Order: sequence, then C-alpha cells, then structure tokens
Amino acid sequence: MRCFNCGAVLSGNDFCTNCGTDIRIYRRIMRLSNMYYNDGLKKAQVRDLSGAVESLRQSLKCNRNNIDARNLLGLVYFEMGEAVAALSEWVISKNIKPERNVADDFIEEIQSNPTRLTGINQSLKKYNQALSYCHQESYDLAIIQLKKVLQMNSNLIVAYQLLGLLYIRTGEFGRARKTLENGRKIDKNNTLLLSYLREAEAALEERDGNALPHGSRGSSHARAANDSIVYQSGNETIIQPLNTPERGGSSTFLNILIGLAVGIALMWFLVLPARIRSSAAENSDEMVQVSNELTEKSADIDELNKRVSALTQENRDLNDRIETLSGGGSVVERYDILAKAALNYIEHPDDVIATSGILSGLTSGDTEEEDSEIVYSDAFKALYAYLNSDVSKKAAEEYTSKGMQAYEGENYNEAITNLQNSFNVDPTNDKVLYYLASSYRNIGDSDKATELFSALVNNFPDSEFLDSARGYLRNGAENENADQNAGNNNSQNNEQPAQTTTDQVLPGLDLTNGGQAAQPAVDPLAGIGAAVQ
Amino acid sequence: MIDFEEELKKFHPSLEVEDAETYIHNTDVIDVVDLMIQLAEASRIYEE
Repeated sequence: MRCFNCGAVLSGNDFCTNCGTDIRIYRRIMRLSNMYYNDGLKKAQVRDLSGAVESLRQSLKCNRNNIDARNLLGLVYFEMGEAVAALSEWVISKNIKPERNVADDFIEEIQSNPTRLTGINQSLKKYNQALSYCHQESYDLAIIQLKKVLQMNSNLIVAYQLLGLLYIRTGEFGRARKTLENGRKIDKNNTLLLSYLREAEAALEERDGNALPHGSRGSSHARAANDSIVYQSGNETIIQPLNTPERGGSSTFLNILIGLAVGIALMWFLVLPARIRSSAAENSDEMVQVSNELTEKSADIDELNKRVSALTQENRDLNDRIETLSGGGSVVERYDILAKAALNYIEHPDDVIATSGILSGLTSGDTEEEDSEIVYSDAFKALYAYLNSDVSKKAAEEYTSKGMQAYEGENYNEAITNLQNSFNVDPTNDKVLYYLASSYRNIGDSDKATELFSALVNNFPDSEFLDSARGYLRNGAENENADQNAGNNNSQNNEQPAQTTTDQVLPGLDLTNGGQAAQPAVDPLAGIGAAVQ
Repeated sequence: MIDFEEELKKFHPSLEVEDAETYIHNTDVIDVVDLMIQLAEASRIYEE
C-alpha cells in the first residue's frame, strides 16, 4: 500500500513515514473497498448479479483503483447481457493497470469474435427500440421486439424485466410469470424481477379464485362474461362458451348422419366431377403422348424400310456386278483370251488369222462396260492395242487374199466368208466391200448384194468400183443373170444408186453368212485404245 | 398494484458499442480517496 498523499510505501504505522500524513482513515477505506469486493464476489457466485453489481460499485466508490472489483463488475455486466458496459469497465481497468491485468483476456475474447459482438450490439439496439415503442405506447410492437432481443441475447436482464412488465400491462400474467422466471434463472435476486413476479402471481391467484370450478383447465381461470369462461392454459388464453344446450345421443347420431350425407353430397357434386375431369384430361394427355410416340415410331419404321429397300437394291446391284465380273464374258475370261492371243502370236507369228480369231473372242462379251476404265488395266489395253493394230492388218490382208482367190475360183461362199472377215477387220477397204457384194450377187442373194452395193455408193464416193456398183443398182435384179458372167468387169454406167442409207446397211454390220458370226465393224475396245493413247 | 408509467421510468436505454467511448470518457471515477485528498487539501489551505 502506498501513501495517497506522497505515494511512498507505507509501513505498519498509522502515518506516512515520508510525509507524516495520517493514514488511518485511508486504511479503513481500503478495507471497506475490499469488503465490498468480497461481498460482490460472493453474490456473483450465487448468481445474485444485481446484488453483486451494487457491492462492486460500492467497492469502486471506495477505491477506484480496485482492479479486481472493476474486472468482476465487468464480468457481471457481461453475464447480465450488458456487454458494452462490461467492455467499458474492462477498458477502464486496463487503463488503470496496463500490465498483468485479466481484463486483457476478457477484451481479447470479445474482440476475437466480431460476429458475437455484432449480435449483442444488435440486440441492445433492438432493446432500445422496444423501449422507445413503450414510450410511444406501442406495446405490441415492443413485445415483439423484446422477444427478438431475448432470442439474440438471452442474458439481457433488462429485457426480461421490460417484457414481464409489458405482459403484466397487457394482462398476460402467465406469460409475464414465465418470462420473469426465465430472467430469475440468470439473476436470482433481481429486485425488479421479483417485484414484477410477485405482481404477476398475485394477479394469477386472483383469477384462480374467481374461476368456475368446472370447465376450467390449466393454472388460472376467469369468467370473462355471462356466457363464456376465459382461462389461461400455459401461454394460451381459452374462451369457452357457457349455457350451451346439452346434446343427447340421438341428436348426436342424427348430426353425424347429416354430416355424412352432406359430405357425400359434396364429394358427389364437387369433388368427383373435378376428379373425373382431371382424370379425363390426364387420359387425353396420355393419348396425345401415345399418338405422338406412335407417329414418331411410324416415321422411324418408314425410314428404316426405305433404308432396307436402298440396301437391298445396293446389294442386288453389287451381286449383279459380282456376277458380271465373275460370270461368262468376265474380265478374267477376257484376260485369258488376250493371253491366249498373245501366246499364239508369239508361237506362230505368221498365223495371224488364228490370232485374230482368238482376239475376236473379246468382242463376244459385254463390251459396253461403263466402268471399263476401271476393269481393264493399262497393260491389258496396251497389249490389246498392239495385237489388234498388228494382227488385224495382217489378218485383213490374209482374209482379202483368200477371199479374192476364192472369188476368182468362183467359190463364192468361201469368198463371202473371207471377204466378210476382212471387211470386219478393215471396214475402210472398198475393194473388199465390192467383191463381197459381187459374191452375194453371184450366189443369187440380190437383196444382200443391193444392200452392200448401196453401202459402197454411199460411203465410198471416190471408190474406183463406184460405177460398177451404181450399174448394178440401176439394173437391179433383172440383169442379175446377165451380169453374173461379167463379175470381174468394172461397170461403166453412171446411173444414180438406190436410195439406201448407210444407217440401213452398216449399223452393227451384222452381215451373217452360213451361220458364221460376223465381226462387229466397230472396234469393241475402241474406247480402251483411245484411253491408252 | 404496479404503476406502469412509474415502472417504465426505471428503464433506461442500454449502452451500445458506438456509445462506449463516450461513456468511458464521461465516467466519473472519483472515489472516496479522492474526496479525502480534496478535503485534506482544502483543510491545509484553510489553515494557511
């Protein structure tokens, strides 16, 4: 302890050894402060918070520097919900004793949780607002606000006090008692709480005494009017009417029957139609949905059928193509013919007729392949072009020579065969055509002869046999016999030829004789040759 | 019987956080010791 006058450390004497000041009263005041602190501490320990506050304030009045008393006062304030007052006490304590002060921990704990501090502050603001409502006589609003306050800050004693007072003011003594009892759980000996509680209980006892013995429930009863009973059941106010007629068993049964009938009628006229309409609407929706699904499925089926048809057609085309490629006259077979022709040409270079005969086999197949460029290889085309150009020329000369020999020997049928083959190989030879026509004339086939002579006239206007052909055409079949012996003489007539067109004679040059197939005038692989070139 | 108006006067607005600083500055922390010192000082001045 230090001297209050000079600050020197005091000894056991009743005066200050430094300045001589009498310190007896000072010592008593210090002891008094400590006594109040101890009293406040005991009250706080038994939750007499308001009593503790009074004692601690007395202690601080005696000695403002009693740090323990001030810290405990802040703690009690905090327990009573007055967080700001608590903080203020701790801050003052901190200022008085900056070092080794437990107030540091309290302040730090409060500041470490800003959310909690904000919530407490909001509750205090609402309490002040509720108090303002009370002054404005808006008690309902005040009650609502105070309920919110107690939800946010359940230790705020003043809120319990004010809410209890408001319940008493509005005649809700049961709620008032409950609220005040809750407040007492925090502060047992709060004078204001106790006085309000006593008032509320007195009011409730008064109601209990005035309540009717029957028809009452709960803790309090009251007759509110001649025809009703008002009583409190917990937090609920129940008003029970009186003088209601006693219903007999038969009337009750009748009422039940009437109720059932009314219920059935309501079901029949109101509920069932609505349910039926609802069910019909659901069915209609389902029908529409099913119909839509059916339409979609049908469309899918049509699409799949089309695809099946397309695939079937494609399959058929591919099978036809396979058949074409692998069947008679196939590419393989044609390659085989060409290989045989090439082999024969190598082994027998002079036997061009045989080679030409083998090559003619290439024309017996389908020569109208649309994709011949794909089917025939370049080697095939080159080999065919070589053989055809070399062998055909020699074969034509050979056929012509044999044909002319047969013609001169009056063996016209053989002459026709050889000349026909020669003309098939070389359709530009007018001489062969002339003697072929003459051979037909000599064997008496005047129609064929006329046809060939007409072809000669129309297609070879510069031919040296033109006049002879015209002469025959002019004289026709009438001079047939007369002309037979003059077959080798050239006709000197310049008559107009018959009006036979090339198209009537040359198309396909299907000039068959004796069942022997004539060779087509058009080169079956002309397209191939052109492609090779 | 409680007089509501009189009872209501016992209630005062609670301190909010914003008011804490003002409250601390305005708090009168004079204690009995201060009064005693002031009395001693006044007595000394009177004697002089």
